[in-house]
Amino acid sequence: MGKMQLKDSEKSLVIKKKGQAGEIWRRFKRNKIAMFGMVLFIAILLVVIFADFIVSYDVALKQEISQRLQPPSSEHLFGTDNFGRDIFARIIHGSRNSLLVGIGAVAIGITIGGLLGAIAGFYGRHLDNIIVRAMDTIMCIPLMLLVLSIVAALGASMVNVLLAMMIANVPQYTRIVRAAILPVVGQDYIEAAKSCGTPNRWIIIQHVIPNAIGPIIVQATMAVGTMIINAAGISFLGMGIQPPTPEWGAMLNEAKNFMISQPYTVVFPGVAIGLTALSLNLMGDGLRDALDPKLKD
Amino acid sequence: MTSLIHAVDLTKYFQVGKNRFLHAVDKVNFDIQEGKTLGVVGESGCGKSTLGRVALGLLPATSGELYYRDKNILLKGKINKELRKEMQIVFQDPYSSLNPRMSVYELIAEPLVRNHVYSKRQDTLKRVVELMDTVGLAQRFINSYPHEMDGGRRQRVGIARALALKPKFIVCDEPVSALDVSIQAQILNLLMDMQEEMKLTYLFITHDLSVVKHISDEIMVMYLGQCVEKAPAQELFSNPLHPYTKALLAAIPVPRLGVSLKHNLLKGEVSDPINPQPGCRFAKRCAYCKPECTGQDYPLAEKTPGHFVACELWK
Amino acid sequence: MEEPILKIQNLHTVYQGKTETVYAVNGVSFSLYPRETIGLVGETGAGKTTTALSIMQLLPERIGKITEGSICYKGEELVGKKNAEMCLIRGAHISMIFQDPMTALNPVMTVGDQIYESLEIHNYDNKSEHELQERVDELLMLVGIPANRKHEYPHQFSGGMKQRIVIAIALACKPQLLIADEPTTALDVTIQAQVLVLMEELKEKLGTSMIMITHDLGVVAQTCDKVAIMYAGEIVEYGTVEDIFNSDKHHPYTKGLFDALPSLDEHMKRLKPIEGLMPDPANLPSGCSFHPRCPYCREDCKNGHPYLYEEEGHIICCNLFREGNV
Repeated sequence: MGKMQLKDSEKSLVIKKKGQAGEIWRRFKRNKIAMFGMVLFIAILLVVIFADFIVSYDVALKQEISQRLQPPSSEHLFGTDNFGRDIFARIIHGSRNSLLVGIGAVAIGITIGGLLGAIAGFYGRHLDNIIVRAMDTIMCIPLMLLVLSIVAALGASMVNVLLAMMIANVPQYTRIVRAAILPVVGQDYIEAAKSCGTPNRWIIIQHVIPNAIGPIIVQATMAVGTMIINAAGISFLGMGIQPPTPEWGAMLNEAKNFMISQPYTVVFPGVAIGLTALSLNLMGDGLRDALDPKLKD
Repeated sequence: MTSLIHAVDLTKYFQVGKNRFLHAVDKVNFDIQEGKTLGVVGESGCGKSTLGRVALGLLPATSGELYYRDKNILLKGKINKELRKEMQIVFQDPYSSLNPRMSVYELIAEPLVRNHVYSKRQDTLKRVVELMDTVGLAQRFINSYPHEMDGGRRQRVGIARALALKPKFIVCDEPVSALDVSIQAQILNLLMDMQEEMKLTYLFITHDLSVVKHISDEIMVMYLGQCVEKAPAQELFSNPLHPYTKALLAAIPVPRLGVSLKHNLLKGEVSDPINPQPGCRFAKRCAYCKPECTGQDYPLAEKTPGHFVACELWK
Repeated sequence: MEEPILKIQNLHTVYQGKTETVYAVNGVSFSLYPRETIGLVGETGAGKTTTALSIMQLLPERIGKITEGSICYKGEELVGKKNAEMCLIRGAHISMIFQDPMTALNPVMTVGDQIYESLEIHNYDNKSEHELQERVDELLMLVGIPANRKHEYPHQFSGGMKQRIVIAIALACKPQLLIADEPTTALDVTIQAQVLVLMEELKEKLGTSMIMITHDLGVVAQTCDKVAIMYAGEIVEYGTVEDIFNSDKHHPYTKGLFDALPSLDEHMKRLKPIEGLMPDPANLPSGCSFHPRCPYCREDCKNGHPYLYEEEGHIICCNLFREGNV
């Protein structure tokens, strides 16, 4: 059977490269919703990069008490806040801090937590016990309290907030990754890889993580929005990003007293956070599907 | 003729609680000549799969010795990397034994790449194509993923992977149990052809007695971690001695009319393998059980040349 | 002549996917008489389970559809019945045993409660709870489990015992027809022998008709009266067990199935597998669906429906018999 087909297929024998970036991209492209998410995210990134060209940073900081709480107009596209600052400019310039905190905390948290979770799930037994118990202990402390204590100890600054949120995030990702990995570790192909001499670190990278990545990606993309809000809470308590530095979460907090009378003060930063979370979420969903060769059609 | 692999009192206990040990493999001895096949039969939970894993060093043995070409290879309970290449495994389930995210090329190339067999990519590719040809897998599947192929083809990929490092000894863990009858025959033929061509030695684990008879030179019947009977294939089927072997043979539904299963029907089910009492482990279900059967362990005794049995009746 | 309890005529079932249509059952017809067991034999994808699900009207909603044909249970047409009407028939008149006893039982309910539940659903003559509980004990005893174990949970039973409980649930309301979908495939040989003997005894005792779905010709020889060999959604050969096991006239596929089995009696150097693979049910070959794998394939097999040979109820669907010779 095999020999007969050997001749006619010899010319077409092309081995697709490992990882198959092209193949994944092709599958991703076909998913309209995921593409929408990506376009949205790229737009947000462009805003982050070219913020200074859109509107000068000074505008975002300039307080004009006479102009406070103006509704959206041609002069102030999104209106002004209670200090008379232009909300549009603050959203444009706040994107940088917000995205940095949101994505940064999740990305670093998931890297460290993921590694710990993978080790716990893969090696099991004592190592698993130690890691999981340690993480449980951290999880006992309410997230906010933990972050605040860390920031209080290290001093209030943007970097420290990021660091604190990252530490506070690690246990939950350890848990998620461990849970996603356990069923994969039991599969025969892990044993098959061991039997042909593949070192453990390769088994984790090559066999375990790619098969467990689906739920992790979805969780991570959903967490970004929450992280932005959490960072805002810290700013509100005066320990995070210091006013008048623009930041979406902080803007929400400042505006909450005017929510009823001047709804636009909360709507615009809210929409900004929502759109960022949405774009990442849609992209994550699409990426998960694109990474799975079983869902080719 | 020297033996390729030789086990002495190979034992594997799993700890399942405080002072509770699951006796998966209990003092099993075997000896496989180069180019021959030892069939291991038994019901689920008899420890046959664990035996295969221990024989490969995938699981560390609790005690016992394992000789490969007269060299004790279980010195630290582990097998070194060079030997690993000579000993491979073919799995039961071609659905879960292949990573769903890897293409056929990646799957077959994995053992070659991980062991740095070839320095050039082109050589690896050549070997993969050669292997696919050997196991009868058309080249057009080289970029396919496991889920795009049927069970028989997947099992061929599994076999190609096992053959990649030119092993001498292969443990086949129920390689055809998940396949349809017509495909099963194709894979069995393939395994036998490979054996002839490459002088492979098999430890063939299965619950299917007709398959084990077809492929084995010698057969070992296991019950609750122990070997109860061992004999050349023909001899075991024509002259079974142990009551369990007899019951097992009588329980196979043969595709022929007028053979009743009611005859020699075993009562009860396999008992608990955790901290078993000394004595014959089959005693509770045995129709010929005597008071002497409990209390002491039965070693295998040679009844006729090459035919070993562990039973009070044949002492 | 007795009336058949189940009569299937020209049944066609498809699974309508997004991009393709899978033709799972293509024109299956057979009749089942009271106290008879018919074996549906075939490999994966032959349409055995789909036939069973069509009878039970349990095809996956919106995807699985019966496009043609009729299924008559005691003269009553089942195709097109509403779900509510089928609920009165399922369990009470027609029961099904599934392959895997490990997943067929609810792990958080005692086995007694699970049997009781199926009795309660079809309790049309308002029996008292006490009477129903007595029936639970009776059923457990029937399948060889001590009645005092009814307060235990499924995990406390072994695989063979669980399958006995599944059988007890299926038989709870004294169904006229029992569909067993590979009931012993997940069990060990010695346990399989026990369960097969038990099913045989129960069938005699209760007079139930049975459809036995299996891929194991050994199981067929043990349990069936009639046999239908299925391939790619069609019955390629039909007859009594004697016809299938003792006659020398066979469909090439049946012959291939028997030849592919390693024999316990004689030693063969090599097995004789059927070359090639099952056809893709979304893209069936024209003519006889077995023709690409058939060693006796002729020109006339490639187009049109194969010849229907019949001799005293032994039906073979093959052109080889057109001229009356093999």
